[in-house]
Amino acid sequence: MAKKGDMLYAWTNDSDLAKKAECGGAVTELLKYALESKTVDAVLAVTRGVDLYEAVPVIVTNPKDLDNCAGSLHCGTILLSKLVMEYAPDIAGKKIGMVVKGCDMMGVLELAKRNLVNLDNIVMIGVNCGGSVSPVAARKMIREKFGVDPDKVTKEEIDRGQFIIEYEGGHKGIKMDDLEDEGYGRRSNCRRCKVKIPRQADIACGNWGVIGDKAGKATFVEVCSDRGAALLTKAVDAKKLSTEPADPKGIELRAKTEKSMLKLGDKWRERDFSALAPRLWETIGAETARCMKCYACIDHCPVCVTRPDRFEQPALMVRPGFVPADPMFHLRRFAHISDSCINCGQCEECCPSEIPLALFSHAIRTEADKFFEPKLGKPVYTN
Amino acid sequence: MKILSFLRGEGSVKEKEIATMAKTSEPIIKYVPTTCPYCGVGCSLYLVVNGGKVVGVEPDKRSPINEGKLCPKGMTCWEPVHSPDRLTKPKIKKNGKFVDATWDEAIDLIAKKFKEISDKNGPKALGFQSSCRTVNEDCYALQKFARVGFLTNNVDNCARICHGPSVAGLSLSFGSGAATNPFEDVLNSDLIVMWGSNAFEAHPLAARRVIQAKKKGIPVIVLDPRYSATARLGDEWIRFNPSTHIALANSIMYWIIKEGLENKAFIAERTKGFDDLKKTVEKYADAEEIHGVPLEKVKDFARKYAKAKNAVIIYCLGITELTTGTDNVRSMGNLALLTGNVGRPGVGVNPLRGQNNVQGACDMGAYPNVYSGYQSCLVPENSAKMEKAWGLKEGSLPNWYGSTLTEQINEAGNPIKAMYFMGLNPVVSYPDSNHVMRQLEKLDFCVMQDIFWNESCEYADVVLPGTCFAEKDGTFTSGERRVNRVRKAVDGPGEAKYDWEIIAMIAKKMGLKGFDWKSAKDVWDDMRACTPNMFGVTYEKMEKPESVHWPCPAIDHPGTPILHVGKFSSADGKGTMFGLEYRPPAEVADAEYPFTLMTGRLIFHYHTRTQTDRAKELHYEVPESYIQINTLDAKKLGIKENEKIKVSSRRGQIETRARISDDVPPGVTYMTMHFHKGANTLTNTALDPLSKMPELKHCAVKIEKIAGAA
Repeated sequence: MAKKGDMLYAWTNDSDLAKKAECGGAVTELLKYALESKTVDAVLAVTRGVDLYEAVPVIVTNPKDLDNCAGSLHCGTILLSKLVMEYAPDIAGKKIGMVVKGCDMMGVLELAKRNLVNLDNIVMIGVNCGGSVSPVAARKMIREKFGVDPDKVTKEEIDRGQFIIEYEGGHKGIKMDDLEDEGYGRRSNCRRCKVKIPRQADIACGNWGVIGDKAGKATFVEVCSDRGAALLTKAVDAKKLSTEPADPKGIELRAKTEKSMLKLGDKWRERDFSALAPRLWETIGAETARCMKCYACIDHCPVCVTRPDRFEQPALMVRPGFVPADPMFHLRRFAHISDSCINCGQCEECCPSEIPLALFSHAIRTEADKFFEPKLGKPVYTN
Repeated sequence: MKILSFLRGEGSVKEKEIATMAKTSEPIIKYVPTTCPYCGVGCSLYLVVNGGKVVGVEPDKRSPINEGKLCPKGMTCWEPVHSPDRLTKPKIKKNGKFVDATWDEAIDLIAKKFKEISDKNGPKALGFQSSCRTVNEDCYALQKFARVGFLTNNVDNCARICHGPSVAGLSLSFGSGAATNPFEDVLNSDLIVMWGSNAFEAHPLAARRVIQAKKKGIPVIVLDPRYSATARLGDEWIRFNPSTHIALANSIMYWIIKEGLENKAFIAERTKGFDDLKKTVEKYADAEEIHGVPLEKVKDFARKYAKAKNAVIIYCLGITELTTGTDNVRSMGNLALLTGNVGRPGVGVNPLRGQNNVQGACDMGAYPNVYSGYQSCLVPENSAKMEKAWGLKEGSLPNWYGSTLTEQINEAGNPIKAMYFMGLNPVVSYPDSNHVMRQLEKLDFCVMQDIFWNESCEYADVVLPGTCFAEKDGTFTSGERRVNRVRKAVDGPGEAKYDWEIIAMIAKKMGLKGFDWKSAKDVWDDMRACTPNMFGVTYEKMEKPESVHWPCPAIDHPGTPILHVGKFSSADGKGTMFGLEYRPPAEVADAEYPFTLMTGRLIFHYHTRTQTDRAKELHYEVPESYIQINTLDAKKLGIKENEKIKVSSRRGQIETRARISDDVPPGVTYMTMHFHKGANTLTNTALDPLSKMPELKHCAVKIEKIAGAA
C-alpha cells in the first residue's frame, strides 16, 4: 500500500520489458498497467525516431505499443504539454497518461490554470531530467569532443554530471561542465532549469539514488499524489511491479544529486542574467530586430494561446506584411507570458532567426516572481 | 497556426473514437517526416496526421538542414492541403465550359490529341513544361514521356526563369551548374558576400546560417540596389544601380589585380582565361557612372574580398533574371576564381535556388538539351544510351536543342499546337501576362495538371487533379544538391492521382513501354539506372535526414557536399575566367516610362500564391500587391502611403498600392512577383541570349495617380 510521500525502488516483473527498458522499467510498466486497467484511455509518450537522436511523440492506446517507448532519449527536446489539445481534440474528456519532464509538467499546470486542460483527466508520470541536448548539437559534440562518429553511437546517457556514450568499440564520458564551458552540452534553458524532479506530477521517477544490488535494475519512485499512490498500489497488487523501500543512503544521494543540479542551475542563471542585465533593452531590441514572423515562438509556447479573431483586429503597432517584425510583436508576447514562462526553451530552439527568446522571457519571469504577486495565482511548482 | 477549436466548444468530442482506433491500431496521431514544399533550402518537418487528415506541422529538430526551425511559409505549409478548393476530378472543356470527366475520358482525349498533333505536325509541334515544385519522380516521368512518346526535346521547367543562367554560367565557369558548397558551410567562412539575394525573405533558413555566422563574428556584406530585409542583416550594405553587376564586378576585379591581390598560384594551377579577364576589366577602373558605387567603396570591397582567407559569394535572382544573366553569373565565377575561393570549406559561389525542387527538375532532365544528370542530348553516345535504356529504336531520339519555357509560349500556335503544363501557372508567373494569355489562346490543345484551379486553367482543354507534397512519396533536391525524401502523409482528395501516375496512364494508353512503375521509388530507380552522377543516391540512403548530396556515382560513395575540390568538374579540370562587358538591360527608364521596376519575393508568399494565400496568417500578412516607391518620388507625384495607384509599362497596366520608403532609391521601384494582374503584367520578355532567361528583374514603368483613389 503506497502512499503520498513514499520513496521506493520499483521494477517491472516482465523480464522482456526489463531488458528493453532502463533501470527496472517502472515508468513503462506503470503506464502499461494504467492502460490495461483502464485507469487511462490513452498514453502520450515519446518513441525513438530514425535513430537515438530523434524523439517522436506518440499517443498509444494498445499497452503493448508502449514497449517501443521504453528507455530515455536525452536528445528529445520536445514539449508535450500542448500536443493533445492541438492535435487530438477527440481525446478531450478522456483520461490520458503522460510521461513528463519538468517542463512538460509545468506546461500542463500552466494550461490547467487557464482552464485549458482538466487535470482530473491527466495522470502524469514524471521523469527526472537534468537537461536535454538538441539532436544536431549532440551529434556535433560527439563528433568534435568525443571523436566518435555519431552514427556509430548505440547508447547515450547523462549520469553523475557526465555525458556518456556507448559506441561500437567502447564507451566514453565527459564532464558536462567541461562540455558546456566550451559551448557544447545542454540547451541553455535546461542549464538554468530548477525543476529536476517533477514533484507536481503524480509520481516522480528516475535513476538517481538507486544504489546497492538494485543499481541499474530498479527505478527510484517518489509518490507525489494520492492518485499516484493508488495507481502504484494497484500495479503492485496486479503483480505487474515489485517495490521495496528505497535505501536511506540512496534517498540521501538523490537529494544530493538534486541539490547539486539546482546549484548548477543557479550558477547558469547568474551567468546568463547578469550578462544580459547591463544592456537589456538594447540587446532585446537588436536581437528581436531579426524576427521573420514565423510565429513559432507563439505556436510552440505552452502558455501562448491565440484568439481565433486575432487576424480581424485593427493593426496599430504590429503592421502586417513587414519584416523584420515591429518591436511590439515580441513585447506583447513577453508581457503575456511574464508570470508564466516555464523556460521550456521551445521558442528559442525553434526560432529561425536565432533570437535568445527563452533567455529574455525566463529573465523577466524570474525577476517578476521575486517582486510581484502572480496574477494567475501562485504556481504549485518552483522554478 | 493551429486553432484550439475544441477548447472553445467549437469542436465535438467523438465518444467512440478511442475504442475504434484501438481496434484498428491506427495511431491517433502520426508524425510523418518530410520536406517543406516551398523554397530550395529543403527544410525537414513533420506533418502531424490525425484521422487521415493533416492537422499541423511540428519541428524536426533532428534535421541537420534546419534543426526544427521553419519560416512563416514552412510553419503553415499544411494549411492548404485539405482546402475545399482542391481539384478532385478531371475536367474537360466542352463548348467552352469545363465539365467533370472520368479519368478514362480525360486520358483517352489527351492520348488521342497529342498523338494526332504529333503525327500531323511532328515533334516540334508539342511543348512540355514541368514544375520545380513537384517531386523529382514527376519531373523525370514527364521528360521521359515527352522524349519516348513524341521524340521531342521541347521539354523545359521553370528553372528557366529563375536559375537558368546559373546552370549555364556556372557550367561555363566551373564545369557544373550547381551550387559549390552547402548552406551550413558559410560558418567556415571569413567573409560572406550576398549579392542580389534577399535570402532573409526568399530563403529564410539559408539566411539563418548567415545569422549564425554573423553571431560568430564573420563579417557579412550585402550588395543590393534595395535596402532589403537581408541588407538590414549585413555588417555592410553596398547599394548599386539596378542591373549593373558586370560593371561593378569588373571594377572590383580591376582593383584586385591592380593591387596585386589576385591568387596567383590558384590562377596558374587551376584556371584559364586570366589574360582575357585582365584586359577587359582595365576599362572599368572607375565605372561609378554605371554602377553608382563610389570608387573608394569599390576598392575597399575589393581588398576585403581578396584578402579574406575564405570568402563565399551567395547570390540569387538579382543576378540571374536579366538579359545579362549568364554573364552576371560568370562574373561571380570570375571573382571566385581570381581570388582562389573555390573548392574547399568556407568558400564558393552559391546560387540560392528558389523552388523546393528547382535543382531536381533540372537534374531530372526536364530540360531541352540534357537528359537526367546533365547528359547532353546533342552527344550521340548519350542518346544511344538513353535509347537503349528506354527501349527506343537506335538513332530515334532528337539531337536538336528544344524550345525553352518562354520560347514555347512564343511558339504557341506556330509551330507548337499542343502543350502540357504540370504544376505551373504561366499566366501569373511568366513575363508579360497579356502576351502569355494571347499565346495560350492560340493552342489547339492544352493540358494543365495541378492541385488547385489557377489563373491559367481557363486556357486549358483538360485540367487534371494532381497530388500535393503531403500526399505522395518522392524526393526534392535542394539548392545544396541534397536529395531529401518527401513522404506520403495522407491520401489525395477525391480522384486526384500521383502526378507520375497520370503521365504513366497516358503513356500506357498510347502503348508506350517503360512506364509500368508501381511506386515513386520505381521511377527513381528507373532514373538512377541511366544517370551516372546519381546512381548511388538510393531511397535507403535517404532514410536519415543527412541524406546524400550528388554527385554520388556509386552505392558506396558518400556523396559530394563540396564541388571542385582539387579539380574543376569541367572537361579539362580547369576553371575558366571570362572577359565580360557590361550591357544595359533591354528596356531602361526613359521620358515616357521614367521609373525602373525591379521584382522579387516576399517572405509571406510563394510564387503565385495558390498555396500560401490559403494559409490564414500568410493571407493576413500580405493580402494584395504593392509597389515600393522612394519618398522623394512619391512626394513629387503627390502619392500617399497605401494609396491605390496605376502602374504601366509598354506591355500592360495594373493597379496596386504604394509603399513609400527609402528602401528603394529615387527613380527605382519594386514589386513582388506573387500577384495576378501584378508585376508580370508589366515585365519584359526580352531574353538572355545564352540561357533564354527573360528579363523579369528590370523594365521601365510609369506611375500615375488614380483620380479619387485613397
